[in-house]
Amino acid sequence: MTSRRGFIKAGGLALFGISLGGIPGFLADAVAGTVAPGLFKKRKIMVCIFQRGAMDGLMAVTPFTDNYLKAVRPNLFMSAAQGGKNKPLIDLDGRFGLHPSMAVFEQMFREKRLGIVHGIGSPNNTRSHFDAQDFMESGTPFNKGTETGWLNRAVGLLGHEAATPFQGVSLTSSLPRSFYGENPAVAISNLADFNIQLRGNQAGANMASKSFEDLYDQTSSGLLKDTGKESFEAIKMLQKTDTKNYKPEYNAVYPNTALGNSLKQIAQLIKMDVGLEVAFAESGGWDTHFNQGTETGIFARNVNDLSNSIMAFWTDLSKYQDEVTVMTMTEFGRTVAQNGTGGTDHGRASCNFILGNDVNGGLVHGIVNPLAKENLEDGRDLAVTTDFRAVFSEVANKHLGIHNDKILFPDWAGKQIGVMRGV
Amino acid sequence: MKQRIHHFYFCLLAFGLAIVFSSFVNSRGREKFVLPYKQAGLTEQQAAAHLLSRFSYGARPGDVQAVVKIGLEKWFEQQLAGNQSDAELDPMLARLDAINLSNTEVENIFPRRAQLVRFAVRDGYIPKDSVNNANRKEYAATMAKYMQDKGYRPQQELYRQFINQKILRATYSNNQLRELMTDFWFNHFNVSLSKNQCASFVPAYERDVIRPNVFGPFDKLLLATAKSPAMLMYLDNFSSTGNNVVPMEEPANEMMATGNRQAQSRKRLEALMQKAKANAKNKKQGLNENYAREVMELHTLGVDGGYTQTDVTQAARVLTGWTIAPMGENGYGAPIKKLMERVGDDKLRQQGFVHEGDFLFAMNRHDNGEKVVLGKKFKAGGGYEEGVALLELLAHHPSTAKFISKKIAVRFVSDNPPQSLIDKMAKTFTSSNGDIRQVLMTMASAPEFWSADALREKTKSPFELAISAVRSLDATIKQPYQLYTWINKMGQQMYYYQAPTGFPDRGQYWINTGSLLNRMNFGLALASQRIPGISFDLAALNNNHEPESAEAALNIYGKLMMPERKLDETISRLKPMLNNPDLESNVAKAAAQNAAPQQMNAMANEDANIMGENADQMKPKGKKALVNNMPGQQAGNNSMLAQVVGVIIGSPEFQRK
Repeated sequence: MTSRRGFIKAGGLALFGISLGGIPGFLADAVAGTVAPGLFKKRKIMVCIFQRGAMDGLMAVTPFTDNYLKAVRPNLFMSAAQGGKNKPLIDLDGRFGLHPSMAVFEQMFREKRLGIVHGIGSPNNTRSHFDAQDFMESGTPFNKGTETGWLNRAVGLLGHEAATPFQGVSLTSSLPRSFYGENPAVAISNLADFNIQLRGNQAGANMASKSFEDLYDQTSSGLLKDTGKESFEAIKMLQKTDTKNYKPEYNAVYPNTALGNSLKQIAQLIKMDVGLEVAFAESGGWDTHFNQGTETGIFARNVNDLSNSIMAFWTDLSKYQDEVTVMTMTEFGRTVAQNGTGGTDHGRASCNFILGNDVNGGLVHGIVNPLAKENLEDGRDLAVTTDFRAVFSEVANKHLGIHNDKILFPDWAGKQIGVMRGV
Repeated sequence: MKQRIHHFYFCLLAFGLAIVFSSFVNSRGREKFVLPYKQAGLTEQQAAAHLLSRFSYGARPGDVQAVVKIGLEKWFEQQLAGNQSDAELDPMLARLDAINLSNTEVENIFPRRAQLVRFAVRDGYIPKDSVNNANRKEYAATMAKYMQDKGYRPQQELYRQFINQKILRATYSNNQLRELMTDFWFNHFNVSLSKNQCASFVPAYERDVIRPNVFGPFDKLLLATAKSPAMLMYLDNFSSTGNNVVPMEEPANEMMATGNRQAQSRKRLEALMQKAKANAKNKKQGLNENYAREVMELHTLGVDGGYTQTDVTQAARVLTGWTIAPMGENGYGAPIKKLMERVGDDKLRQQGFVHEGDFLFAMNRHDNGEKVVLGKKFKAGGGYEEGVALLELLAHHPSTAKFISKKIAVRFVSDNPPQSLIDKMAKTFTSSNGDIRQVLMTMASAPEFWSADALREKTKSPFELAISAVRSLDATIKQPYQLYTWINKMGQQMYYYQAPTGFPDRGQYWINTGSLLNRMNFGLALASQRIPGISFDLAALNNNHEPESAEAALNIYGKLMMPERKLDETISRLKPMLNNPDLESNVAKAAAQNAAPQQMNAMANEDANIMGENADQMKPKGKKALVNNMPGQQAGNNSMLAQVVGVIIGSPEFQRK
């Protein structure tokens, strides 16, 4: 069980800082005084984005020279050839083409900061969204009973006490499976709501807030007392900035979408120095059984949102790029062939994106064999050639400095594939 | 006045039933049941308050006195009998038209979203090849029209009613313990609305499988869950197929009788079944161990209950063929349904099939070989019965007695119940063959239940907090779903817990920074009547006497809402604030403007997550209807009172039970 003491010490300092009206000098003091573990400045941040519904990896990053794919996707196949009547794919390496709606990713790829893993997926061949998401989030593809989520375990393996309640944050209304567990993690759907509220009655809210703070301070229940203290310190931390009127920096423009708003708030937390180390956000609408579209349509809108949200986040955080890595994930891929309703059905492998300055970028990692029937899983799906745990663990190892894969992914003993650089 | 009449009838009824029940007990010649609270130094009132805080969703005003009047033991026995009439609740439930539908009816009326789109294409409402359907509005309108024409309703409506019934039952049922135990066992045998394929089976699961069996015997409850479509789907046993199967025989003459078209469709089916069989032969995936593992780890023995991986695999083999009977016109297994109807139940029975309601034991998927589980040999050819025998073995295993007893003690006594208590309960569990009433009686008559270590030691779950708050105010709930959005916000997305473990039943789990703030905000929102559809009359609770001061209000309402608690600390701590001469005018001034809270859409069904594009059109039309006009909130003393009540609900003392 994680001790709460670390935070309370740091919280006391935070309060002191506020009372002086200035910040962030106290953080440096805190580190120097070895009272509190260092906050953000010394720490790395991993941001995970779960694309729920299973992204069609073959449309996001298309092996465009593959004739089999062209043949089985008469309405969905896109070409990299210039000069046609349609917008071409962005040719990444002569074999793979990026969907044109993700054009903002191209520069990151060329600068070798964006890496792609193709053929990534789970060794468990379930094609149920629920099961596959469950397995990916618990990190144990053959064990449903695992109580904890892999991100919660990651928080526990960071090697220092939580300095604030914001060490692990999910921008969702309830805690996702990935964060289930004993280590502190908090679900916040809207930072501005993180306060004592009485709509239309600010004075009442302030008074109630004071009452609650006093009451929780004196209660005999240790749990309620400590958490109460944390809560009020957390409010004070967030009050340092005006979360409602946040202005992104470097002209970053977040799409006004669920994902855009989530990433915007994660950026705020990072800039607020509140000790965030593991963040989680979601993106929906990937279950494209029906009228998936090509350079326009549902899929195009989705990847456009995904890439623009991530790039807005990245731009906004220009000062912090060395500290941050963003990784996407999705429960499985989709059928190689299109179905009868202009879409694709549940398949196996997909691809994912990893963005960061220590990413081994500019490459499409993993193995995608020619899509001949005999190379497909069950004769129909892109084969899983990279276990998702190989990639997740590598990002966690290299970026967050977590070195206990036995705890992070208990049943996994595979090899990492070099998606991150050195150290 | 209304209150008094209500209590009068309640007492009268309770009295009558008490006589019936006590004579029943006496006729069995059992030892007199005694709750040892006096030995623990508690008064009758204090003991009644403790009973109510653990065996109900919180005391309503006057409940402590009512329990004392009935007699504490009698009250507890009534709750164990669980057959009090529910005159107040029943009409509320009667308005929810979907909660009593069978699984088949649900399948026929509430198709899954993905199915709907497919059907709409099939029926020509939506063109198959409209690759870029640019006009989403038009699309939504077409779908709405299609649903109306076919009599389909959106699944969210079903789940909304289902959630509403839980809130109403918890708040208004006189059989409080039955509701608590329903919640307990549902969580123990967790299934989730977040798994699309099993979601539509969940309402019937709680209604038919859990609620009637909450007092045991445990083996009956276990068997009922094992055979339920919700569990079969949630833990995948429905698909589990063995290796040594006996293929299904079809009567030859049937073939002659069927028409050409039927013969063709049958051929297709046979091909399908051949394929399935081939799959089963070629791949390990025929056998699915999920249920077999969880039934031991989570439902019976516990993780340290003394089973091995081999036991899991062997148990999975025993349970192969336990699946869901085909149902509905478009629902689960519709194609197989026709085939089964043709063969006929009699013929199926002769071949070893078992078809009971929604449950099907499919002999042609069952592994017919010999198995050994936990040292017990299951001879080859055991069929359906060997699965029943396995579950009986698990239900009566000593590890199960301990595991279940501990879990019940954690729920009702403390997060860390003393081993001495668990041992007593486990002993009763074993000697009574898993009679849960007996186990609960053993627990309540143990000194450990009444010890200082147990009193106020449990933390209310968000659901319990919300319901106890509403009950403490004797509130009227017109829109239960509004409470759900708050419960979700406080960290308990009821019926959507994804893992088969169910919600952890520990204060540590419920109380964290974000959720605690939301508890406080919930108190303030509820007390100031800003949760639409939840109303109450604060003045009436105090017989229309207005408290003279904020301090008086805190004293009076603190006692009303948290009977028999020591509130000195709370009151002394708040005194300086309450005695601020400007308090009332400040609060009144501030309370002048009102704004309804925004309707949260907190649904996180898998659909909502994965069908982002189409989610809008599926939202129930009633969205507007849910945010009705707020009851007018008068400024003035009432807002001071509301503020005090809000602080009470959000206070640490009120989080405990």
